[in-house]
Amino acid sequence: MAATDPRRPSRRSSVTRRDFVKRTGLGAAAALAVGGRWSRAAAAASPYPEWIPASTKPPKRGGVLTRASAWDPPVIDPRLTQSVGLYQFVGLTSNRLVRYPFSDEATTPSDLTLKGDLAESWAPSPDHRVWTFKLRQGVKWQNVAPLNGRELVAADVKYCFEQYAKEGVQAFTFQEIEGMETPDKYTLRVHLKTPNTLFPQNLAEPVAVIFSKEVMEEDGDLKKRLIGTGPYTLKEHTRKVRVVLQRNPDYFDKGRPYIDEYVILSTPDAATRLAAFRTGQADFIWLASPSEVETVRKTNPAVVVQSYHNTLAPFGLALAQDRAPFNDVRVRRAISMAIDRQKMVDTVFEGHGILGWGVPYIYYQDTPPTAKDLGPWWQYRPADAKKLLAEAGHPNGFETTLFYYEYFPQMTSEVQLVQQDLKKNLNINVKITKLDYTTYYGRYVEGKWDGMSWGFQSGHAIGLDERTYMYMHSKSTKNFFRVNDPVIDELTTKLRRTPDRNEQRAVAKKIVDREYDQVLRMWMPYDNGFLVFQPHMRNAAAGALRRSDGYGSPTLARAWLDK
Amino acid sequence: MYKYVFRRLMLAVPVLLMSSLIVFGLMRVMPGDALTALMAESGNVGEKELKKLRMDLGLDKPYPEQYALWVWQMVSLNPGDSIFTNEPIPVALKKAVPVTLELATLAIILGLVIAIPIGVLSATRQDTAPDYVGRVVAVSGLSLPDFWLGTLVITFAAIWFHWIPPIGYTSLWDSPWRNLQQFLLPAAVLGFRLSAATMRMTRSTVLEVLREDYVRTAWAKGLAGRFVVYKHALKNALIPVVTIVGGQLGTLLAGTVVVETIFALPGMGRLTVEAILYRDYPVVQTNVMLVAATLVTLNLMVDLTYAWLDPRIRYR
Repeated sequence: MAATDPRRPSRRSSVTRRDFVKRTGLGAAAALAVGGRWSRAAAAASPYPEWIPASTKPPKRGGVLTRASAWDPPVIDPRLTQSVGLYQFVGLTSNRLVRYPFSDEATTPSDLTLKGDLAESWAPSPDHRVWTFKLRQGVKWQNVAPLNGRELVAADVKYCFEQYAKEGVQAFTFQEIEGMETPDKYTLRVHLKTPNTLFPQNLAEPVAVIFSKEVMEEDGDLKKRLIGTGPYTLKEHTRKVRVVLQRNPDYFDKGRPYIDEYVILSTPDAATRLAAFRTGQADFIWLASPSEVETVRKTNPAVVVQSYHNTLAPFGLALAQDRAPFNDVRVRRAISMAIDRQKMVDTVFEGHGILGWGVPYIYYQDTPPTAKDLGPWWQYRPADAKKLLAEAGHPNGFETTLFYYEYFPQMTSEVQLVQQDLKKNLNINVKITKLDYTTYYGRYVEGKWDGMSWGFQSGHAIGLDERTYMYMHSKSTKNFFRVNDPVIDELTTKLRRTPDRNEQRAVAKKIVDREYDQVLRMWMPYDNGFLVFQPHMRNAAAGALRRSDGYGSPTLARAWLDK
Repeated sequence: MYKYVFRRLMLAVPVLLMSSLIVFGLMRVMPGDALTALMAESGNVGEKELKKLRMDLGLDKPYPEQYALWVWQMVSLNPGDSIFTNEPIPVALKKAVPVTLELATLAIILGLVIAIPIGVLSATRQDTAPDYVGRVVAVSGLSLPDFWLGTLVITFAAIWFHWIPPIGYTSLWDSPWRNLQQFLLPAAVLGFRLSAATMRMTRSTVLEVLREDYVRTAWAKGLAGRFVVYKHALKNALIPVVTIVGGQLGTLLAGTVVVETIFALPGMGRLTVEAILYRDYPVVQTNVMLVAATLVTLNLMVDLTYAWLDPRIRYR
C-alpha cells in the first residue's frame, strides 16, 4: 500500500482530515475506526525491518542522547519496584551478573544467548542446585561517595541478593536461594533450595541489578541514591522533569559507552512526545500503530523504523477459575471460542498485532504461532461455543462482571468487543467496571475477585522460568491468573530441572499446549508497535522482550550518534 | 476595613476545616492505598510485610486519630513526608508551587491582555466586524477545552514550525529565556480560556456603562473618545470583570493540571494527580488544603479590589 512505501516522497506540512483527527487525539475510537479499513493491507505490506543490524562504521564518541518518556520512576530503589519507569535507565547505571546480548552483538531480535555482565563465567553443579559465578576482576563502583570507586567483590553481590530475598518485589525469585558463599574475592557460590537450570536467566532479568551495600546501610533504603557499576552515573533525577545519566569514565568495558549523556525527559502526554520527536528534541520514540508511523514519516521522512514483533501478549481475560462457573473447563473453552480475536487484531491494532499467547514463542518454536497452532479452543467458532456452554449447564448464558484498568486506549476497545461477542454468541451479560490503576491492581493481585478481570503478566520478564514457573505454578505469588493445574505444576518444575536446550523446548511446548487446551489463561490480541529512530542513531535496535526505550535500556551502552 | 478582613479570615477557618474533612474522607473512601500502589506489578504483596509497613506509616490507626494527627501536622506547618517517595512534602511543594504560580500568573496576564482590549473594542464598535471577530474568539475560548487546545497547539507547532517549547522545566532564575519559551505557549492556552469569559463580560459591562448619563456628559463636554472610554467608562466597568476573573481562578488552577501534563511542566497539578493515583494521602491532602487556602485568600483579595476600583464601596 502506498501509504507505507518508504520511498514515497514526503508531504511536509500537509494535513488531511485523518491526520488532524490522529494528531489532535480526538478519541481513539475515531482513529481506530479509520485505521481498521486499511489494517490488513498495512500489516501485509509493512516495509519496516524487524531487526536493524549493527552499524559497520566505526563508532563515534560524544553527544547527548535524549528521549521523551511517558514514564517516571516511582522510586529509584530496585528492591521496591519493577516499574519500567525505573528500569528505563537503571540497566545503564547498574549491572547484573549476566545479561542478554546488546543490539550490536545480537544476530536477530530473538537472540537470547546469555553473556557475562559482572560475571565472567558461570557453571552449575551436576544437579543444578549449586551455581558458581566467577566475577570480572577490576570492576569499580562509580566514583561517587561513599563508594568512591572501590572494587566490586563477590561479597557485594552476596549482600545484594540477600537484601532482595529479605523484602521487596523480587523476594520470590531470591528466596529460592538457600545459601551463598564467597570462597574468594571474585567467586560467588549460590546454593538453591531446588535444582534450577534456568537460574542464570533469572539473574539476567533487567530487574536483577546489583546495588551497593554502603548506600543501603547508610540510608536504610535506596530511595535517594543510586550508585552502581554501570556505563552511566546518575547525575540528576528531578521527579517529573528529567533523569540525566553521565558517562562513567571508569566503566569496565573500556572505551564504552560512546554517548556522553543520556537525558530522559518526563513527558506524560503522547502528543507532546510525538512533537518532541518530530522537532528533534527526542532521538527515538515508541509508536503503536502503522498509521502513527506514517504520520511521523510525513514530517520526518528520514527516520529509521524498526517493526517490533511481540513474542507474547501481556494481557488477557483472567477468569476466577477457582470457582463456578469458570472452574468448568467447558465454560472457559466456550468463552474462548466465542471471542473473535482476529477481528480485534484487524480493527483495534490496524492489523499490526498478535493473536495472543502467554509464553514467548521463541522458547518452543521458531515462528509466531498461527491461529491453528493455538488449538481448537482458540478458534472463533460461535456455534460450537454455544453448544459447549449449553453442555456445561448454561444454555441461556449467565451474568458476570469484568474489571480492568485502561493501560492504553485500545484496551477499552478490546474489552468492549469481548463484551459484545459474549453477549451475541453466548448470551453472557458482562458488566464492565473501569478502575484507576491502584484500585485495579490492588483488587487484581489480591486474587479474591469473582467473575472476570482483564489480567496481566509482568512486562519485564525475559526468561523462560519467569514466564512459566513464576507465573503459572500454583504456589507462586506471581500466579495472578490463579492457575491451579497439577500438570502445569509438574511440567514447570520439570522444566527447571531440564538442562538440555532441545528438551527445554519440548517441555515448554507441552506447557503451552496444556495451557491452551485447558484455557488456563485466555490471552488477548496485543499490538506489535514500532521503534522509530532519528537517522543519526546507531546500534539501538530492540530485541525480543527488551525494548531499548524500556527494560532493554542496557543496550544503549553500545549506541552511538552518527552526527 | 481591618475588622472586615479579620471577619473574613475567621470565616475561612470553617471553610478550610470542611475542605480538610472532605479531602481526608474522599481519600479514605477510594479503594487501595499507597502501599498497594508502591508494590504494583510486584506479585509479592505479602500480608505480613504490608501490615508492618502500614503500621510504620500510621495507616493502621483509626481514621479519627489519623485525621487529628494530620490536622496537627498542618497547623504546626509540618505536613510530613510523601508515603510514596519519602520526600518531605514542603520540599516537593517548593519545587511545584513556583511552576504553577508562574504558569497561572502568566496565564492571567495574557488572558487580561487579550480580553480587555478586545472586550472594549467589541463594545465601542458594537455590531461591526471587529465586534463579531471578538465575539467569535470569546465563544471559541469558552468552547475549546484546554486539553484539546493544548494538544492542537503543540502538534501544529511541531508540524508547521518544527518547534515546540523545550521539554524539561528550567527555572526562571537559571535561564529566563528558556523559561519563557517553556511557559509562553501553555500560559497562552490557559489564558485564552480565561480571556473568553472576561472578554464577554468586559464587552457587556462597557456597553452598559457607555450608556450611562455621566458618559454621555463626558461626550457632550467634547472629551476625546479614548479618554472617555478608558478614563470614565472602563474603570467603572471593571468591577464585574474582576468578579469574573476572581471566580475563574479555581477553573484556572484546575486547568493547570491538564496544561502541565501536556507541556510537561512539574507543577502542583501533576504533583496532585500523581499523588491521587498513588494514594499518597499526605501529599494530596496538603495540596488540596494549599489550593483551598489560596482560593480563599484570592477571593478576599478580589473583594478588597472592589474598594480600590470604586471608592464608594466601603468595608465595615
